[in-house]
Amino acid sequence: MNKFAIGCGGLIVILLFLVLVVGLFFGGTYNRLVRLQQSVDQQWAQVQNVYQRRADLIPNLVNTVQGAANFEKSTLVEITNARASVGRVQLDPNKAPSDAAQLEQFQAAQGQLSNALSRLLVVVERYPELRANQNFLSLQAQLEGTENRISVERGNFNSAVQNYNTAVRTFPTNMIAGVLGFSPRPFFTAQAGAERPPPVQFNFGSPAPAPSPAATP
Amino acid sequence: MKSRLRRYFLSSRSENVIHLIAALLLFASAATAAEVIPPKPARYFNDYAGVVSQTAALRFNEQLAQFERETSNQVVVAVFTKMQSDSDIADYTQRVAQAWGVGQKERRNGVVLFVFVQDRKMFIQVGYGLEGALPDAIAFDITERRIKPHFRSGDYEGGLAAGIASIFQAIRGEYKGTGKTVVEQRGRAPTAGLVSLLIFIIFLVAISRALRRLSGYGYSSRRGGPIFIPMGFGGGGGGWSSSSGGGFSGFSGGGGSFGGGGAGSSW
Repeated sequence: MNKFAIGCGGLIVILLFLVLVVGLFFGGTYNRLVRLQQSVDQQWAQVQNVYQRRADLIPNLVNTVQGAANFEKSTLVEITNARASVGRVQLDPNKAPSDAAQLEQFQAAQGQLSNALSRLLVVVERYPELRANQNFLSLQAQLEGTENRISVERGNFNSAVQNYNTAVRTFPTNMIAGVLGFSPRPFFTAQAGAERPPPVQFNFGSPAPAPSPAATP
Repeated sequence: MKSRLRRYFLSSRSENVIHLIAALLLFASAATAAEVIPPKPARYFNDYAGVVSQTAALRFNEQLAQFERETSNQVVVAVFTKMQSDSDIADYTQRVAQAWGVGQKERRNGVVLFVFVQDRKMFIQVGYGLEGALPDAIAFDITERRIKPHFRSGDYEGGLAAGIASIFQAIRGEYKGTGKTVVEQRGRAPTAGLVSLLIFIIFLVAISRALRRLSGYGYSSRRGGPIFIPMGFGGGGGGWSSSSGGGFSGFSGGGGSFGGGGAGSSW
Protein backbone atom coordinates (compact mmCIF):
# COMPACT_ATOMS: atom_id res chain seq x y z
CA MET A 1 0.00 0.00 0.00
CA ASN A 2 2.67 2.34 1.09
CA LYS A 3 4.77 1.36 -1.91
CA PHE A 4 1.82 1.92 -4.26
CA ALA A 5 1.22 5.40 -2.89
CA ILE A 6 4.86 6.27 -3.39
CA GLY A 7 4.68 4.91 -6.93
CA CYS A 8 1.59 7.00 -7.77
CA GLY A 9 3.13 10.07 -6.25
CA GLY A 10 6.28 9.46 -8.23
CA LEU A 11 4.32 9.19 -11.46
CA ILE A 12 2.51 12.43 -10.80
CA VAL A 13 5.78 14.13 -9.95
CA ILE A 14 7.30 12.85 -13.18
CA LEU A 15 4.32 14.02 -15.23
CA LEU A 16 4.36 17.43 -13.62
CA PHE A 17 8.06 17.58 -14.26
CA LEU A 18 7.55 16.77 -17.95
CA VAL A 19 4.85 19.42 -18.31
CA LEU A 20 7.14 21.88 -16.60
CA VAL A 21 10.05 21.00 -18.88
CA VAL A 22 7.96 21.36 -22.04
CA GLY A 23 6.50 24.64 -20.81
CA LEU A 24 9.89 25.97 -19.92
CA PHE A 25 11.23 24.91 -23.29
CA PHE A 26 8.40 26.69 -25.13
CA GLY A 27 8.66 29.79 -23.02
CA GLY A 28 12.42 29.90 -23.13
CA THR A 29 12.48 29.44 -26.90
CA TYR A 30 9.87 32.11 -27.43
CA ASN A 31 11.74 34.55 -25.25
CA ARG A 32 14.98 33.79 -26.99
CA LEU A 33 13.45 34.35 -30.41
CA VAL A 34 11.92 37.63 -29.30
CA ARG A 35 15.26 38.75 -27.93
CA LEU A 36 17.03 37.85 -31.14
CA GLN A 37 14.40 39.58 -33.23
CA GLN A 38 14.67 42.67 -31.10
CA SER A 39 18.40 42.79 -31.54
CA VAL A 40 17.88 42.55 -35.30
CA ASP A 41 15.47 45.50 -35.16
CA GLN A 42 17.86 47.42 -32.96
CA GLN A 43 20.70 46.88 -35.38
CA TRP A 44 18.46 47.91 -38.22
CA ALA A 45 17.80 51.21 -36.47
CA GLN A 46 21.56 51.70 -36.24
CA VAL A 47 21.92 50.98 -39.95
CA GLN A 48 19.25 53.54 -40.80
CA ASN A 49 20.92 55.95 -38.46
CA VAL A 50 24.28 55.90 -40.19
CA TYR A 51 22.74 56.03 -43.66
CA GLN A 52 20.72 59.04 -42.55
CA ARG A 53 23.88 60.62 -41.25
CA ARG A 54 25.43 60.28 -44.67
CA ALA A 55 22.38 61.74 -46.40
CA ASP A 56 22.53 64.70 -44.02
CA LEU A 57 26.13 65.41 -44.94
CA ILE A 58 25.43 65.70 -48.63
CA PRO A 59 23.85 69.17 -48.97
CA ASN A 60 26.80 70.64 -47.09
CA LEU A 61 29.23 68.70 -49.25
CA VAL A 62 27.56 69.75 -52.48
CA ASN A 63 27.54 73.39 -51.42
CA THR A 64 31.22 73.34 -50.55
CA VAL A 65 32.20 71.63 -53.76
CA GLN A 66 30.01 73.91 -55.85
CA GLY A 67 31.97 76.84 -54.53
CA ALA A 68 35.08 75.57 -56.29
CA ALA A 69 35.70 77.27 -59.63
CA ASN A 70 33.75 75.53 -62.44
CA PHE A 71 33.47 72.21 -60.69
CA GLU A 72 32.29 69.40 -62.90
CA LYS A 73 28.50 69.54 -62.85
CA SER A 74 27.69 65.97 -63.83
CA THR A 75 29.15 64.50 -60.64
CA LEU A 76 27.11 66.84 -58.49
CA VAL A 77 23.93 66.16 -60.44
CA GLU A 78 24.50 62.47 -60.00
CA ILE A 79 24.93 62.82 -56.25
CA THR A 80 21.86 64.97 -55.87
CA ASN A 81 19.79 62.51 -57.86
CA ALA A 82 21.11 59.53 -55.95
CA ARG A 83 20.29 61.21 -52.68
CA ALA A 84 16.77 61.94 -53.87
CA SER A 85 16.26 58.31 -54.86
CA VAL A 86 17.54 57.20 -51.45
CA GLY A 87 14.93 59.45 -49.90
CA ARG A 88 12.23 57.70 -51.90
CA VAL A 89 13.11 54.24 -50.56
CA GLN A 90 12.13 54.88 -46.97
CA LEU A 91 11.77 51.82 -44.76
CA ASP A 92 10.48 51.66 -41.22
CA PRO A 93 13.49 52.64 -39.10
CA ASN A 94 12.30 50.66 -36.07
CA LYS A 95 11.56 47.36 -37.70
CA ALA A 96 13.95 45.44 -39.86
CA PRO A 97 12.52 44.56 -43.29
CA SER A 98 11.14 41.07 -43.57
CA ASP A 99 10.87 41.25 -47.34
CA ALA A 100 14.09 40.54 -49.23
CA ALA A 101 13.03 42.62 -52.24
CA GLN A 102 12.48 45.65 -50.03
CA LEU A 103 15.93 45.39 -48.55
CA GLU A 104 17.42 44.89 -51.98
CA GLN A 105 15.78 48.07 -53.25
CA PHE A 106 17.07 49.97 -50.25
CA GLN A 107 20.53 48.58 -50.80
CA ALA A 108 20.49 49.42 -54.50
CA ALA A 109 19.55 53.04 -53.85
CA GLN A 110 22.20 53.42 -51.16
CA GLY A 111 24.76 51.69 -53.36
CA GLN A 112 24.12 54.23 -56.09
CA LEU A 113 24.78 57.03 -53.66
CA SER A 114 27.97 55.32 -52.48
CA ASN A 115 29.21 55.08 -56.04
CA ALA A 116 28.38 58.70 -56.77
CA LEU A 117 30.18 59.82 -53.63
CA SER A 118 33.31 57.82 -54.24
CA ARG A 119 33.39 59.17 -57.78
CA LEU A 120 33.17 62.67 -56.37
CA LEU A 121 36.15 62.05 -54.11
CA VAL A 122 38.16 60.88 -57.10
CA VAL A 123 37.15 63.86 -59.23
CA VAL A 124 38.07 66.22 -56.42
CA GLU A 125 41.68 65.13 -56.78
CA ARG A 126 41.83 67.31 -59.87
CA TYR A 127 40.89 70.45 -57.97
CA PRO A 128 43.82 71.60 -55.84
CA GLU A 129 41.71 74.50 -54.63
CA LEU A 130 39.34 72.04 -52.94
CA ARG A 131 42.02 69.87 -51.50
CA ALA A 132 43.40 72.90 -49.68
CA ASN A 133 39.95 73.92 -48.44
CA GLN A 134 39.65 73.27 -44.68
CA ASN A 135 35.91 72.96 -44.84
CA PHE A 136 36.11 70.37 -47.57
CA LEU A 137 38.81 68.38 -45.76
CA SER A 138 36.71 68.25 -42.64
CA LEU A 139 33.69 67.16 -44.67
CA GLN A 140 35.76 64.52 -46.35
CA ALA A 141 36.87 63.17 -42.96
CA GLN A 142 33.25 63.07 -41.83
CA LEU A 143 32.17 61.36 -45.00
CA GLU A 144 34.87 58.72 -44.70
CA GLY A 145 33.98 58.20 -41.06
CA THR A 146 30.35 57.76 -42.03
CA GLU A 147 31.25 55.18 -44.66
CA ASN A 148 33.21 53.31 -42.00
CA ARG A 149 30.26 53.43 -39.66
CA ILE A 150 28.00 52.15 -42.41
CA SER A 151 30.20 49.15 -43.00
CA VAL A 152 30.40 48.42 -39.27
CA GLU A 153 26.65 48.70 -38.71
CA ARG A 154 25.88 46.64 -41.78
CA GLY A 155 28.19 43.96 -40.46
CA ASN A 156 26.56 44.09 -37.03
CA PHE A 157 23.13 43.92 -38.60
CA ASN A 158 24.13 40.91 -40.66
CA SER A 159 25.47 39.04 -37.68
CA ALA A 160 22.32 39.83 -35.68
CA VAL A 161 20.22 38.49 -38.56
CA GLN A 162 22.48 35.47 -38.82
CA ASN A 163 21.99 34.65 -35.13
CA TYR A 164 18.26 35.05 -35.49
CA ASN A 165 18.00 33.06 -38.71
CA THR A 166 20.14 30.27 -37.33
CA ALA A 167 17.82 30.03 -34.34
CA VAL A 168 14.72 30.07 -36.53
CA ARG A 169 16.06 27.42 -38.89
CA THR A 170 17.80 24.93 -36.65
CA PHE A 171 16.41 22.08 -34.61
CA PRO A 172 14.67 22.13 -32.19
CA THR A 173 13.77 25.80 -32.35
CA ASN A 174 12.51 25.58 -35.93
CA MET A 175 9.55 23.44 -34.78
CA ILE A 176 8.35 26.24 -32.54
CA ALA A 177 9.43 29.21 -34.65
CA GLY A 178 7.03 28.28 -37.43
CA VAL A 179 4.10 27.87 -35.05
CA LEU A 180 4.78 31.19 -33.35
CA GLY A 181 5.21 33.07 -36.63
CA PHE A 182 8.94 33.74 -36.63
CA SER A 183 10.29 33.69 -40.16
CA PRO A 184 13.87 34.20 -41.38
CA ARG A 185 14.93 37.76 -42.18
CA PRO A 186 16.89 38.99 -45.21
CA PHE A 187 20.34 40.47 -44.74
CA PHE A 188 22.72 42.68 -46.68
CA THR A 189 24.66 41.03 -49.43
CA ALA A 190 27.94 42.21 -50.82
CA GLN A 191 27.03 44.07 -53.98
CA ALA A 192 28.07 42.52 -57.23
CA GLY A 193 31.40 44.08 -58.03
CA ALA A 194 31.76 45.65 -54.59
CA GLU A 195 35.22 44.13 -54.31
CA ARG A 196 36.32 46.20 -57.31
CA PRO A 197 36.62 49.97 -57.00
CA PRO A 198 33.86 51.83 -58.83
CA PRO A 199 34.67 52.80 -62.40
CA VAL A 200 35.52 56.42 -63.00
CA GLN A 201 34.45 57.98 -66.25
CA PHE A 202 35.75 61.37 -67.21
CA ASN A 203 32.98 62.50 -69.51
CA PHE A 204 33.44 66.23 -69.64
CA GLY A 205 30.97 66.88 -72.41
CA SER A 206 27.68 65.12 -71.81
CA PRO A 207 26.32 64.83 -68.29
CA ALA A 208 26.03 61.38 -66.80
CA PRO A 209 22.62 59.74 -67.25
CA ALA A 210 20.44 60.52 -64.28
CA PRO A 211 20.12 57.35 -62.19
CA SER A 212 16.70 56.31 -61.03
CA PRO A 213 15.81 53.61 -58.53
CA ALA A 214 13.25 52.05 -60.86
CA ALA A 215 15.89 51.40 -63.48
CA THR A 216 16.90 48.12 -61.89
CA PRO A 217 15.32 45.31 -63.91
CA MET B 1 23.90 28.59 -62.73
CA LYS B 2 20.31 29.66 -62.61
CA SER B 3 18.97 26.14 -62.41
CA ARG B 4 21.45 25.40 -59.67
CA LEU B 5 20.20 28.36 -57.77
CA ARG B 6 16.61 27.28 -58.24
CA ARG B 7 17.42 23.82 -57.07
CA TYR B 8 19.10 25.32 -54.05
CA PHE B 9 16.00 27.22 -53.11
CA LEU B 10 13.73 24.26 -53.77
CA SER B 11 15.81 21.81 -51.84
CA SER B 12 14.69 20.60 -48.46
CA ARG B 13 15.08 22.75 -45.43
CA SER B 14 17.72 20.62 -43.74
CA GLU B 15 19.82 20.71 -46.87
CA ASN B 16 19.47 24.48 -46.91
CA VAL B 17 20.68 24.64 -43.36
CA ILE B 18 23.70 22.55 -44.19
CA HIS B 19 24.48 24.76 -47.19
CA LEU B 20 24.04 27.85 -45.10
CA ILE B 21 26.40 26.59 -42.42
CA ALA B 22 28.95 25.51 -44.99
CA ALA B 23 28.74 28.89 -46.71
CA LEU B 24 29.12 30.70 -43.41
CA LEU B 25 32.13 28.61 -42.45
CA LEU B 26 33.71 29.23 -45.82
CA PHE B 27 32.98 32.92 -45.60
CA ALA B 28 34.37 33.14 -42.07
CA SER B 29 37.56 31.32 -42.94
CA ALA B 30 38.05 33.38 -46.09
CA ALA B 31 37.52 36.62 -44.22
CA THR B 32 39.95 35.82 -41.43
CA ALA B 33 42.57 33.93 -43.39
CA ALA B 34 45.05 36.73 -43.77
CA GLU B 35 44.09 38.74 -40.74
CA VAL B 36 45.57 38.65 -37.25
CA ILE B 37 43.76 40.32 -34.39
CA PRO B 38 46.49 41.02 -31.84
CA PRO B 39 45.88 39.79 -28.29
CA LYS B 40 44.52 42.21 -25.71
CA PRO B 41 47.25 44.57 -24.56
CA ALA B 42 48.44 44.46 -20.95
CA ARG B 43 49.21 48.16 -20.82
CA TYR B 44 47.75 51.45 -21.97
CA PHE B 45 50.81 52.35 -23.98
CA ASN B 46 52.06 49.46 -26.12
CA ASP B 47 55.11 49.99 -28.26
CA TYR B 48 55.44 46.71 -30.14
CA ALA B 49 57.67 48.36 -32.73
CA GLY B 50 60.22 49.71 -30.29
CA VAL B 51 60.24 53.29 -31.52
CA VAL B 52 59.95 54.99 -28.14
CA SER B 53 62.36 54.97 -25.19
CA GLN B 54 61.53 52.92 -22.08
CA THR B 55 61.16 55.94 -19.85
CA ALA B 56 58.85 57.71 -22.29
CA ALA B 57 56.75 54.55 -22.69
CA LEU B 58 56.36 54.29 -18.92
CA ARG B 59 55.50 57.97 -18.68
CA PHE B 60 52.85 57.71 -21.40
CA ASN B 61 51.43 54.61 -19.76
CA GLU B 62 51.02 56.31 -16.40
CA GLN B 63 49.47 59.37 -18.06
CA LEU B 64 46.90 57.18 -19.77
CA ALA B 65 46.15 55.19 -16.61
CA GLN B 66 45.76 58.39 -14.61
CA PHE B 67 43.39 59.67 -17.29
CA GLU B 68 41.16 56.66 -16.81
CA ARG B 69 41.13 57.21 -13.04
CA GLU B 70 40.06 60.82 -13.52
CA THR B 71 37.60 60.48 -16.39
CA SER B 72 36.87 56.74 -16.80
CA ASN B 73 37.78 57.17 -20.49
CA GLN B 74 40.13 54.44 -21.62
CA VAL B 75 42.69 55.66 -24.11
CA VAL B 76 45.05 53.03 -25.48
CA VAL B 77 48.02 53.55 -27.78
CA ALA B 78 49.32 50.65 -29.87
CA VAL B 79 52.36 51.02 -32.08
CA PHE B 80 52.87 48.06 -34.43
CA THR B 81 55.50 47.50 -37.06
CA LYS B 82 53.09 46.27 -39.72
CA MET B 83 49.38 45.82 -40.28
CA GLN B 84 48.52 42.09 -40.29
CA SER B 85 45.52 42.31 -42.57
CA ASP B 86 44.55 42.92 -46.17
CA SER B 87 41.61 45.07 -45.14
CA ASP B 88 41.37 48.79 -45.08
CA ILE B 89 43.00 50.30 -41.98
CA ALA B 90 39.67 51.73 -40.79
CA ASP B 91 37.93 48.34 -40.93
CA TYR B 92 40.80 46.43 -39.42
CA THR B 93 41.43 48.77 -36.50
CA GLN B 94 37.72 48.87 -35.73
CA ARG B 95 37.71 45.09 -35.38
CA VAL B 96 40.81 45.17 -33.19
CA ALA B 97 39.49 47.94 -30.92
CA GLN B 98 36.18 46.11 -30.61
CA ALA B 99 37.95 42.84 -29.76
CA TRP B 100 40.02 44.57 -27.09
CA GLY B 101 36.90 46.08 -25.53
CA VAL B 102 38.53 49.41 -24.77
CA GLY B 103 36.25 51.76 -22.81
CA GLN B 104 33.65 51.14 -20.11
CA LYS B 105 30.84 48.86 -21.17
CA GLU B 106 27.97 51.25 -20.47
CA ARG B 107 29.63 54.49 -21.51
CA ARG B 108 31.46 52.94 -24.46
CA ASN B 109 34.12 55.57 -23.96
CA GLY B 110 37.26 54.09 -25.45
CA VAL B 111 39.77 55.58 -27.85
CA VAL B 112 42.60 53.65 -29.48
CA LEU B 113 45.41 55.28 -31.40
CA PHE B 114 46.89 52.73 -33.80
CA VAL B 115 50.25 53.36 -35.47
CA PHE B 116 51.74 51.06 -38.11
CA VAL B 117 55.32 52.19 -38.52
CA GLN B 118 56.30 50.35 -41.69
CA ASP B 119 53.02 51.09 -43.42
CA ARG B 120 53.42 54.74 -42.37
CA LYS B 121 49.76 54.80 -41.38
CA MET B 122 47.85 55.65 -38.25
CA PHE B 123 44.24 55.64 -37.17
CA ILE B 124 42.30 56.89 -34.18
CA GLN B 125 39.36 54.63 -33.36
CA VAL B 126 36.68 56.35 -31.31
CA GLY B 127 34.12 54.42 -29.25
CA TYR B 128 30.42 55.13 -29.64
CA GLY B 129 30.26 57.16 -26.43
CA LEU B 130 32.94 59.62 -27.49
CA GLU B 131 31.87 60.26 -31.07
CA GLY B 132 30.36 63.54 -29.92
CA ALA B 133 33.43 64.77 -28.08
CA LEU B 134 35.90 63.51 -30.64
CA PRO B 135 34.20 63.67 -34.05
CA ASP B 136 35.90 62.45 -37.18
CA ALA B 137 36.94 65.93 -38.26
CA ILE B 138 38.81 66.50 -34.98
CA ALA B 139 40.33 63.03 -35.06
CA PHE B 140 41.54 63.79 -38.55
CA ASP B 141 42.92 67.12 -37.39
CA ILE B 142 44.85 65.34 -34.63
CA THR B 143 46.44 62.76 -36.90
CA GLU B 144 47.03 65.16 -39.77
CA ARG B 145 48.23 68.29 -38.03
CA ARG B 146 49.37 67.29 -34.55
CA ILE B 147 50.98 63.90 -35.04
CA LYS B 148 51.96 63.69 -38.70
CA PRO B 149 54.53 66.54 -38.74
CA HIS B 150 56.44 64.83 -35.90
CA PHE B 151 56.28 61.40 -37.54
CA ARG B 152 57.50 62.87 -40.82
CA SER B 153 60.68 63.99 -39.15
CA GLY B 154 61.04 60.63 -37.39
CA ASP B 155 60.09 61.98 -33.98
CA TYR B 156 57.72 59.26 -32.80
CA GLU B 157 57.94 60.25 -29.16
CA GLY B 158 56.96 63.84 -29.88
CA GLY B 159 54.16 62.81 -32.22
CA LEU B 160 52.68 60.37 -29.73
CA ALA B 161 52.95 62.92 -26.91
CA ALA B 162 51.14 65.50 -29.03
CA GLY B 163 48.52 62.95 -30.08
CA ILE B 164 47.83 61.81 -26.51
CA ALA B 165 47.60 65.41 -25.28
CA SER B 166 45.19 66.35 -28.09
CA ILE B 167 42.95 63.34 -27.47
CA PHE B 168 42.88 64.17 -23.75
CA GLN B 169 41.96 67.73 -24.53
CA ALA B 170 39.08 66.69 -26.76
CA ILE B 171 37.45 64.12 -24.46
CA ARG B 172 38.33 65.30 -20.95
CA GLY B 173 35.02 66.90 -20.02
CA GLU B 174 32.77 64.12 -21.28
CA TYR B 175 32.61 61.72 -18.32
CA LYS B 176 33.67 61.64 -14.68
CA GLY B 177 35.96 58.96 -13.34
CA THR B 178 35.80 56.85 -10.20
CA GLY B 179 39.44 57.34 -9.26
CA LYS B 180 40.22 53.77 -10.22
CA THR B 181 41.01 51.89 -13.39
CA VAL B 182 39.22 48.72 -14.42
CA VAL B 183 42.15 46.64 -13.17
CA GLU B 184 42.20 48.43 -9.82
CA GLN B 185 38.45 48.01 -9.38
CA ARG B 186 38.69 44.37 -10.17
CA GLY B 187 41.14 43.95 -7.29
CA ARG B 188 38.12 43.94 -5.01
CA ALA B 189 36.27 41.23 -6.89
CA PRO B 190 38.03 38.16 -5.39
CA THR B 191 36.74 38.90 -1.88
CA ALA B 192 33.17 39.24 -3.14
CA GLY B 193 33.64 36.05 -5.15
CA LEU B 194 34.99 34.21 -2.12
CA VAL B 195 32.09 35.27 0.07
CA SER B 196 29.52 34.06 -2.43
CA LEU B 197 31.46 30.81 -2.87
CA LEU B 198 31.46 30.32 0.90
CA ILE B 199 27.72 30.91 1.13
CA PHE B 200 27.22 28.48 -1.71
CA ILE B 201 29.27 25.78 0.03
CA ILE B 202 27.31 26.24 3.27
CA PHE B 203 24.13 25.92 1.23
CA LEU B 204 25.39 22.70 -0.35
CA VAL B 205 26.30 21.21 3.02
CA ALA B 206 22.90 22.08 4.45
CA ILE B 207 21.12 20.47 1.50
CA SER B 208 23.18 17.32 1.58
CA ARG B 209 22.47 17.00 5.32
CA ALA B 210 18.75 17.44 4.74
CA LEU B 211 18.87 14.83 2.00
CA ARG B 212 20.77 12.42 4.19
CA ARG B 213 18.05 12.74 6.79
CA LEU B 214 15.40 12.20 4.11
CA SER B 215 17.18 9.15 2.78
CA GLY B 216 15.98 7.25 5.85
CA TYR B 217 12.48 7.40 4.36
CA GLY B 218 13.21 5.21 1.39
CA TYR B 219 15.24 7.39 -0.97
CA SER B 220 18.54 6.01 -2.04
CA SER B 221 21.31 7.94 -0.38
CA ARG B 222 23.30 8.04 -3.58
CA ARG B 223 20.77 10.23 -5.33
CA GLY B 224 21.12 13.43 -3.37
CA GLY B 225 24.72 14.33 -3.75
CA PRO B 226 25.89 14.81 -7.27
CA ILE B 227 22.71 16.39 -8.68
CA PHE B 228 23.51 19.78 -7.28
CA ILE B 229 27.15 19.87 -8.19
CA PRO B 230 27.02 20.63 -11.94
CA MET B 231 25.35 23.99 -11.47
CA GLY B 232 28.00 25.12 -9.01
CA PHE B 233 31.02 27.39 -9.38
CA GLY B 234 29.43 29.49 -12.11
CA GLY B 235 28.91 32.63 -10.09
CA GLY B 236 31.92 32.36 -7.86
CA GLY B 237 35.53 33.31 -8.41
CA GLY B 238 35.60 36.60 -10.31
CA GLY B 239 38.79 37.85 -11.97
CA TRP B 240 42.07 37.19 -10.29
CA SER B 241 43.72 38.53 -13.41
CA SER B 242 44.97 41.89 -12.19
CA SER B 243 48.59 41.91 -13.24
CA SER B 244 49.74 45.30 -12.10
CA GLY B 245 53.21 44.14 -11.13
CA GLY B 246 56.41 45.43 -12.67
CA GLY B 247 55.96 49.11 -11.92
CA PHE B 248 53.42 49.97 -14.62
CA SER B 249 49.68 50.33 -14.42
CA GLY B 250 48.03 47.36 -16.07
CA PHE B 251 45.28 47.80 -18.59
CA SER B 252 42.12 45.82 -18.95
CA GLY B 253 39.29 46.73 -21.29
CA GLY B 254 35.95 47.52 -19.71
CA GLY B 255 33.99 46.05 -22.63
CA GLY B 256 33.49 49.20 -24.69
CA SER B 257 32.34 49.03 -28.29
CA PHE B 258 33.27 50.79 -31.50
CA GLY B 259 31.15 51.76 -34.47
CA GLY B 260 33.78 52.90 -36.94
CA GLY B 261 34.10 56.48 -35.71
CA GLY B 262 37.44 58.22 -35.99
CA ALA B 263 39.92 59.08 -38.69
CA GLY B 264 43.47 58.43 -39.77
CA SER B 265 46.35 59.68 -41.85
CA SER B 266 49.38 58.33 -43.58
CA TRP B 267 52.71 60.06 -43.46
